[in-house]
Amino acid sequence: MKNKIWFILFFTVQSVGLYAQSVSTSPYSIYGLGSLFEANFGPISSLGSSGIALPSTTFINNRNPASLGYIGKNSFFFDTGLKGFQTTYTSKSTNEKRNNFQFSHIAIAFPLNSKSGISASLKPYSSASYVISDYQLTIGNSNEYYNLDAASYGGLNTFDLAYGYKIRKGITLGLTTSFYFGTITNNKNFTIANSETNINKKSYYSGMRVTLGNQIKIDSTFNIGLTMKIPSQITGSKTQSVSTVNDTETLYIEENVDSDVTNYYLPFEFGVGLSKSLFKKFNLTIDYEKSLWKNTNQSSVYGEYKNQDKYALGLSYVKKEQSYKYADKIHYYTGFNYDTGFLSINNKSVNNMRFSLGVGLPLEYTKSALNLNYSYGIKGRVGNDLIKENYHMIGINLSFEAIWFVKRKFE
Amino acid sequence: MVGSDYLSINNKVLLIDTLTVNVSTINIDSLITSNQSRILIGNYTDPILGKVTSESYLKLTPDNYYIGSSESDTQTVTYVFDSIAMILKYDRYYYGDTTKTQTINIHQLTQKVKPNTDDTNFYNISSLTYDSKSIGTKTFHPKPIGKDSINIQIDATFGKNLFNKLYNNDITDANEFDDLFKGVVIKPSTTNSSNMIGFNTSSVLRLYYKKANSDSKNSLTKDFTLSDLTKQFNNILLDRTGTIIQNLPDSKSKLPSELTNNNAFIQSGTGLACRIDFPFINQLKYISEKGIIVDAELIIKPNKTSITSLFPLKDSLEVYESDNLNRISRVLTNSDGSQKLALLNTTPDEFNENIGYKVNIGSFLHQEMLKTNGAKSTLILAFPNISKGVNRIVLGNQKNAENKLKLKIYYISY
Repeated sequence: MKNKIWFILFFTVQSVGLYAQSVSTSPYSIYGLGSLFEANFGPISSLGSSGIALPSTTFINNRNPASLGYIGKNSFFFDTGLKGFQTTYTSKSTNEKRNNFQFSHIAIAFPLNSKSGISASLKPYSSASYVISDYQLTIGNSNEYYNLDAASYGGLNTFDLAYGYKIRKGITLGLTTSFYFGTITNNKNFTIANSETNINKKSYYSGMRVTLGNQIKIDSTFNIGLTMKIPSQITGSKTQSVSTVNDTETLYIEENVDSDVTNYYLPFEFGVGLSKSLFKKFNLTIDYEKSLWKNTNQSSVYGEYKNQDKYALGLSYVKKEQSYKYADKIHYYTGFNYDTGFLSINNKSVNNMRFSLGVGLPLEYTKSALNLNYSYGIKGRVGNDLIKENYHMIGINLSFEAIWFVKRKFE
Repeated sequence: MVGSDYLSINNKVLLIDTLTVNVSTINIDSLITSNQSRILIGNYTDPILGKVTSESYLKLTPDNYYIGSSESDTQTVTYVFDSIAMILKYDRYYYGDTTKTQTINIHQLTQKVKPNTDDTNFYNISSLTYDSKSIGTKTFHPKPIGKDSINIQIDATFGKNLFNKLYNNDITDANEFDDLFKGVVIKPSTTNSSNMIGFNTSSVLRLYYKKANSDSKNSLTKDFTLSDLTKQFNNILLDRTGTIIQNLPDSKSKLPSELTNNNAFIQSGTGLACRIDFPFINQLKYISEKGIIVDAELIIKPNKTSITSLFPLKDSLEVYESDNLNRISRVLTNSDGSQKLALLNTTPDEFNENIGYKVNIGSFLHQEMLKTNGAKSTLILAFPNISKGVNRIVLGNQKNAENKLKLKIYYISY
């Protein structure tokens, strides 16, 4: 037990360490809130991100707060993870490979009584980190060039508080309140003719959003789940400093001047999920989600916002849940996810397709598991102003369960 | 980098090369020519600007007021006057055709070398009264580079009188000396000259004396020197009659280059300078809500046909900021505090388009763009040592097809 706690501590420290320096290198990190990040707990990444209908019995299911109504009354869950990406970006003219590691999440959940449970989690929402050096661009109205060095860091995080309640046997309801917060610092250096201009922006964002969830147990092998996300906005403020140096002088044009940032609107979203166990060894999960981005009436430098459809399919296998043989207890997962994306660039959508595999290695005699997963995905396509990303993603997360309340009883 | 294109969207970076620039010629009437350490003498007729004349006024003083090695020199009684000469030492400055002879005349001043005005300076238009009778004249081939000096024999009567006054101790101090000999003016003859020659201020009036009945070869000397350089100045005049700039207005106005064949003129000494106005600079304010002129390159080109071996180019121009009445407020400076110069770029390119004086005036234009009231500033271009020489240049404006002025403004919105 002691060792296990050390292991968790180590894992957590590692995760937070990476969190502080998480760098997304996606081209989409350049504008707005940065590139969005999907964090999933337990084996959900391996299941193609499906799981709206899964209960939080063996891990914290962040896909649906209603799942917390099924948390065992003596369980305490802790979940944390890391993700590593290797992405090849291809544009019409060039391609390049970038790697990065990213903290995924840290979460706890525990029951309030036999009918309800709560969870709290912290995870990155977006990353706006990038570094671009010595980038040559054309000066408007001319055939001369200027050089741009730009760097950005920071992003948004979410802190979720979720509550699930079993209103009667087989029906649970849930609510998640998500708090969005974060700072994006952006520094640009323009070398134009014999001058250098520095523009430094700090954007502060905050927002809140509510998710409602429901899970219904049709029978012992079949669950359905529903989620609904209320539209919301993330408001921003910005301070900007501008200075320029030329052969005559250094001019401080602006120093920490406040200005408005375009608010970012999160759309109304709803999702439906099914979970069906088959032959006692298999479990099939299917999710469909729709996000009504079009109604947010916001614009993007990339293109038009459009409504988004997400399809997720997952299959898990375990030979024997309870067995003396360790190998029998290993879970195997596979999944597929297709997402139409919410942006349309030159009337082409930036869709995302991902295939995943994973294993859940049980730890000791609790429901704790070390989940490992691998995904391969393709996002976008090559074309005018379009970029295709081919990525390999490796995820590792620890879903840890402690039976603390029981132990206390016997002490 | 893939995706970098998105970076360029927020900040507009523009090059504006169509802003109207008005070029004109102005007349600075008060160049301080005293204490400039140059005796400038000569005249020449510039084919474009007219006849330029410079004459130099100088006060000459001895170290002491006796003859001989000391006041108690027992030999003094044996000395007699021999001769007197003005020795003008070249300072290597010249302008115009030095293959032509120059004739100069030296006259005694009839007025002390004292400024007329309240200040302590003499100007290019200052003059003093002098005796119309010359005490020395010389026609010579100027050799400002080849030789060290020229010798002008001075009238012996004048010299003898000077000798006697000192010999007899009639003069014992500076005041008495001033009353006797106020100084000289060295004038070029009105004809017969095609050049300007600079002499340095170690030039002397040298009195030769010797022991009675001895040979001139063994003569001793007494020098009268320019010990106070504030008492030496040059009167430099330009006779514009009949030239293209005949109608140059007074020092508070300007002569637009459109009226002078799309050219503007600079001439040191006579006070001609080139003025540059940016009448529509504040229009750039409207490009975007917030913007900066980060750099601006002004290239002003000398008129190629005006450059000859007699009238060569100088390698730089000084740049001043002034108001609408040509009153200079400051000299433009570099970030290290040094004076900003418009430098001649002579690196030839395919079209010879780059030959011209180039200066970066981004900061000046940014300041002008942001001005909200009507008090626009202008730039004035002049040669360095504007008070010392007579170099001139012809510069093209924006409409001058051959030597077109160029202004490139680099702008960024933020």
